[in-house]
Amino acid sequence: MRYKILTVDDSKTVRIIVRKAFKAYDCEILEAGNGVEGLAIAAKAMPDLILLDVTMPVMDGVEMLTKLKADAALKAIPVMMLTAEGGRDNVLKIAKIGVRDYVVKPFKEEALLEKAGRIIDLKPLSEAPAKVKSIFDPADILVVEDKPAIVQQIQEGLRHNPWKVNGVSTQGEAIDYCARTPPDLVIVSLSLPDDTAFGLFRLLRTNPKSKYTPIFALVVKTELSQQQQAQTLGFSAIVTKPLDLVELESKMAKAMNLDTSQRYYSLEPDVLIIRLPENCTPSVLAESSSYMKHKFSAAVDGGISKTVIDIHALKTLHIGVIKLLFQAMQVCNELGMQFALIGNPQVIAECKGFEDTRAWAFFDSVDEAKASFGKAQQPAQLAGT
Amino acid sequence: MPATQEISDVRIHDYIKRAVCDVFKTMVGTEAVLVKGPDEAAAEPWPPQHTATTPAKPQVVGTVGFIGDVNGLIYLYLDLEFARICTCHLLGMTESELATHGDEVVNDAIAELTNMTVGVFKNSLCDTGFPCKLTIPSILRGSSFRIVPTGTATRHVFHFDCRGHRLVTDILMKFAD
Repeated sequence: MRYKILTVDDSKTVRIIVRKAFKAYDCEILEAGNGVEGLAIAAKAMPDLILLDVTMPVMDGVEMLTKLKADAALKAIPVMMLTAEGGRDNVLKIAKIGVRDYVVKPFKEEALLEKAGRIIDLKPLSEAPAKVKSIFDPADILVVEDKPAIVQQIQEGLRHNPWKVNGVSTQGEAIDYCARTPPDLVIVSLSLPDDTAFGLFRLLRTNPKSKYTPIFALVVKTELSQQQQAQTLGFSAIVTKPLDLVELESKMAKAMNLDTSQRYYSLEPDVLIIRLPENCTPSVLAESSSYMKHKFSAAVDGGISKTVIDIHALKTLHIGVIKLLFQAMQVCNELGMQFALIGNPQVIAECKGFEDTRAWAFFDSVDEAKASFGKAQQPAQLAGT
Repeated sequence: MPATQEISDVRIHDYIKRAVCDVFKTMVGTEAVLVKGPDEAAAEPWPPQHTATTPAKPQVVGTVGFIGDVNGLIYLYLDLEFARICTCHLLGMTESELATHGDEVVNDAIAELTNMTVGVFKNSLCDTGFPCKLTIPSILRGSSFRIVPTGTATRHVFHFDCRGHRLVTDILMKFAD
């Protein structure tokens, strides 16, 4: 997530220097020429850091800082003074109003970056487009829950992912953990004593380093008022107990903006393979479907003209799966691609029970399916066309 | 209290030398060397006036005041060529890029350099018991002019050399009532 830095200085030169200093970092620079403009932009854009000069026309930095700290909605925004005003007494007076740091002009850009980096997590802007994190990349998950059995259930349920799931049981431990290693996602149990979960949520949201971290509320399914409160407060998602770990994993992947397409699609040198997992919940089907167009385009662009649809892991066939398979077959037909199905005895038997799928024929393995390409006719294609 | 009487010439010399050297080294990446103190500077009024043989060099002059227990005003003289070099360095621009931006950018950059220089000088005054605040900078441009202070002000002029360019600070401090 891009950090927003607001520079409030009547000198355009200083604003340009600030912009230049942060150019190599993933942040957006907002500019204001005096305190009045600064307050207006702060209220509208809610920056993650304000760099504030003192001597300015219209409204000086001290007045702006005082007004900012008196405003409940803005007072949590960290302010760093960047000013030629460096007399000891004046610095102390301004510091007492509430600033996170103080840089006296003249200043080196490195010093400014170093101090800003202590307040926000400055990340270099790589010249190449950032690699999208995939479901197979490591992630750090923090579970704040005082019931070890739940933490263990989540750890077990997500074990097949390269995610590190850590459990802590108190607000203090959670804060310490986040200060040490900001996690990629936090799950907070609303059943922690004394509304600790809501306090923790607010603390994490006011800390620039965890401001944009997805935070899930973990709550008993029947506790509707707590769910309502969590929703109002702005938790990223509500996860109910008893846990549906497939749904949880899907929500987590979405919240962390992970590319999950590799779960369902793989491009081999001569064939596109579509795989459906054992349990195809509505969210799994929606996720898989959302990548379909893009994956077929990539296959066509790569000169691939064959598709294997592998549902051998599927436990049971239902209408959602059938719709998705028809969708894939239709795309194959439109693109003139050959396709073949791989199934298991249970699914093959279930297919016989539906009018539309009765004629589908299946192979036992990818190799067998691949070998079928080029032969006169494909049984599955008959049904799909 | 006649505050300025308590600020010795030696202190003013030290404060302005530190201010100019610090600002130009940090922001412009150049060493400023003090070449003339008030006594020698008095013999060479600044800026040089236009004569039949020597045309006056265009000057960009930044001004920032300080008000409080001690009141004053400092003028920072740079010839236009040096002002443009400083601006390019400050903003990370080439001369040709600067040419597309016009005089305002140079004015703003010199105003900020003056603000920083007077800021360091003023902070030294504050820390030695003369609390005061900075005023907003302003800019003068011209090639043949002279600033004449009122009779009640003390004046300290210092000449610095920066990469062969002359940088002059003219400090006017007024006795408090």
